[in-house]
Amino acid sequence: MNEPSSRVISPVLGEIRWDTDCELHFPAGLPGFERHKRMVPVEIPSQRPLVYLQSAERGEVCFLALPVLTVHSGFRLRLSEEDRSLLELDQSEATRDDTPAIGADVLCLALLVPVGGTFQTNLDAPIVINLHNGRGIQIVTPAAAAGSWRLSRSGAWEAVC
Amino acid sequence: MLVLRRRAGETILVGGEIEIEVIEISHSRVKLGVRAPCHISVIRKETLAVSQENRLASDLIASRGQEAVGELLQLLNRPDPGRPGPT
Repeated sequence: MNEPSSRVISPVLGEIRWDTDCELHFPAGLPGFERHKRMVPVEIPSQRPLVYLQSAERGEVCFLALPVLTVHSGFRLRLSEEDRSLLELDQSEATRDDTPAIGADVLCLALLVPVGGTFQTNLDAPIVINLHNGRGIQIVTPAAAAGSWRLSRSGAWEAVC
Repeated sequence: MLVLRRRAGETILVGGEIEIEVIEISHSRVKLGVRAPCHISVIRKETLAVSQENRLASDLIASRGQEAVGELLQLLNRPDPGRPGPT
C-alpha cells in the first residue's frame, strides 16, 4: 500500500495524512477563506454526527460542522444555476425545480459558530458537496429561508428569530 | 445614494479603477460584470456576514479545539425530554 501523499498538522486533529482522492475541491474557497480550495473531511466515529472540514492548505484552518438535517429535518436545499455549475451537477437532466437528493447526490453541512455559551449555525449558508465528484461550495441565500438555528441547553436545535 | 439607469451593455465607472458592466437583464435579476484591481475585494453584500461567521467558526477550533468539541457533544447527547424513557 502506498503512503498517503498529503499531510497537514491540525491543532485539534493532530497529524492528518490522506490521498488526494479524498480531498474536496472548493473552486471558490469559502467566504472569508477564498484561498482555501482544498478541504479534507474528517469524521471521528465516537464524535458522530460531527464532521471536521480541515483545510489542506493550512493546518490551523479547520471548521466543525453537522449535517443540516440533524439541525433541521425540514431543511430544503435551494441551488442557483451558478451553484449547480460550480458543483458540476448534471444539468442536462435537471429542470429548474429538480433538486439533488441530500445524502445521495450531495452532502449538506452546517458550520458551527460559538454564540453566547452555546453553538449556532446558519442554514442559509450551508456547505454543499457533490458526492459524485468531490466539488464543494458554500451557498449564500440572500433572503432568509431556513435562517439561523441555536443549540439549546436541552440539546434541541431552535430557530433563532 | 447615486441612482443611475443603465441598459445591457452599458458601464459604470467607480473611482476610475472599477468598471461595472450590465451584461444581461432578465425579469427579476441583473447580471453584472465587475472589473477591479486585485487588491479590491468584490463580493455580494450578503456574503460579508457569512465570511464573518466563517471566521468565528474557524476561530472556535483554533482557540478552543477539543474543549469546544466536548461541550458540543455533551449538549448534542443530552436525552430528548420529549422522548419516552425506559419503562
